[in-house]
Amino acid sequence: MLDYLRLEVRRTLRDAGFVIGGIAMPVLMYLLFTNLGAADGSWKTGAMVGMAGYGAVGSALNTGGGVAEDRAIGWLRQLRVTPMTPRQVVVGRALTGSVTVLPAIVAVLAAGGLLNGVRLAAWQWAAIAVLLWLGSVPFTLLGLGNGYRLTGQTTGVANMACNLGLAVLGGLWFPIALFPAWLRSVSAYTPTYRFAQLGTSVAEGRAPAPGAVAMLAFWLLVFGSYAVLSYRRSGRAG
Amino acid sequence: MTQTHCAAVSFAGAVKTFGAVRAVDGVDLTVEPGETVALLGRNGAGKSTAISLLLGLIEPDAGTVRLFGGPPERSVRAGRVGAMLQEARAVPRVRVRELVAFVAGRYPEPLPVARALALAGIAELAERRVDRLSGGQTQRVRFAVALAGNPALLVLDEPTAALDVEARHAFWASMRGFARRGHTVLFSTHHLEEADRYADRILVVDRGRIVADGTGEQLKRSVGGGLVAVDLAGRATDGLERLPGVRSLEIRGDRARLRTDDPDATVLALAALGAVRGLEVAPASLDDAFLALTASEPEPLTSPATEAL
Repeated sequence: MLDYLRLEVRRTLRDAGFVIGGIAMPVLMYLLFTNLGAADGSWKTGAMVGMAGYGAVGSALNTGGGVAEDRAIGWLRQLRVTPMTPRQVVVGRALTGSVTVLPAIVAVLAAGGLLNGVRLAAWQWAAIAVLLWLGSVPFTLLGLGNGYRLTGQTTGVANMACNLGLAVLGGLWFPIALFPAWLRSVSAYTPTYRFAQLGTSVAEGRAPAPGAVAMLAFWLLVFGSYAVLSYRRSGRAG
Repeated sequence: MTQTHCAAVSFAGAVKTFGAVRAVDGVDLTVEPGETVALLGRNGAGKSTAISLLLGLIEPDAGTVRLFGGPPERSVRAGRVGAMLQEARAVPRVRVRELVAFVAGRYPEPLPVARALALAGIAELAERRVDRLSGGQTQRVRFAVALAGNPALLVLDEPTAALDVEARHAFWASMRGFARRGHTVLFSTHHLEEADRYADRILVVDRGRIVADGTGEQLKRSVGGGLVAVDLAGRATDGLERLPGVRSLEIRGDRARLRTDDPDATVLALAALGAVRGLEVAPASLDDAFLALTASEPEPLTSPATEAL
């Protein structure tokens, strides 16, 4: 299992599209959004959490793209005729997702701390990184659900749509305070808004709100079921 | 419990349907440990479905499929099986050695990676990225992946499809090297010569059934008949196809080639016509045997016009 994780992480990190889209882009967007025009310290911190979250969501969804690709080229089928069990393969993939979200989170937080002068206590840095890391699990499951259900190309499109849609709606790019009231009430139900909330509350020195945790747990359940159903369906299709 | 008296592969009345198509239609077969067996059939004859059943990738609708006396999945999980699947493409963003070492590591008693690479003839490609290799090289990587675990049973589904002649020879040399180590090998092909040359035994598959089982020699003999050829020397070809025993007529340039069930009768009839210049009688080829075994209706006579081109 560890070998599988190592192999798949290596393959992901060699993907130029992943490195640019999943790591470099969020860092660049963060630096742009916070350095064009007047930006106060709280925006620099809020945007840092938002963009780290955006990078994490993109990387998590990317895991599903990898699955779709592996299905298309017959690699998953090849694994089925090795002694590995299907469960090991799926868990290995999910773990790959949870490892590959780390570079994006670390890179954006580093840009905040080193380039944008965001100052937080050591425990806050650690807690934000860990919470964003754990909070990205529902998005990995969403990506896996897409990857096991759709073809390679449609998975790419679906992941992109999920990524941009959820990022914008959830206020990862712009604070939802700028949204009209009706849109703001929609945002409150998105997994991305609640995901970023985990980090922003820590940055403000508070524990994550129970509402945020509950809403994320709800989405975890939804996306988890979606992933399981998609996986079962792909198994039947052979 | 010993495995020694268990067949490596056994199908009993195995059936698999996809919608209205009976892809595997009541197959019985046994492969003993150490044998090299070819599944020979046209595209769509049911070879790949049979192999998917054998590997436990799909379940039979009726009948049983067993590997080493148990369900296929048990043998797969125990690392007794290695397979080269059809239409698998290169795994992107991984080096040859990484890939082969990873797969070898899943098996209880794998080959040393260097050994697997050498057997597949790709030792010098170890550090190359799999997705940057040629088609023939990729095929060999897939072969190395199949044998990396040192499996008791090696299954190859159309392993030489899309290979050029030279690569094909190299591939079969590698395969034999592995089979000689006492492993059971089962491969599917639609190339008659490959089946004849590289398998101990040929199973001819047609429309989901095993229609013949034996060595190439046995298959040729079972069909009987042969090929009679004469120079036409300007003679008209009318009526040749109605001579005794003749099943089909083919004109190549100035030569008539008659496939016949009874070469003696055909030769006597040709002699009566005085058409014996350049007379040649050959036993049935494996081609003939294959056509005879898999043709449902009598073979249509080949049109001289198209053959003359």
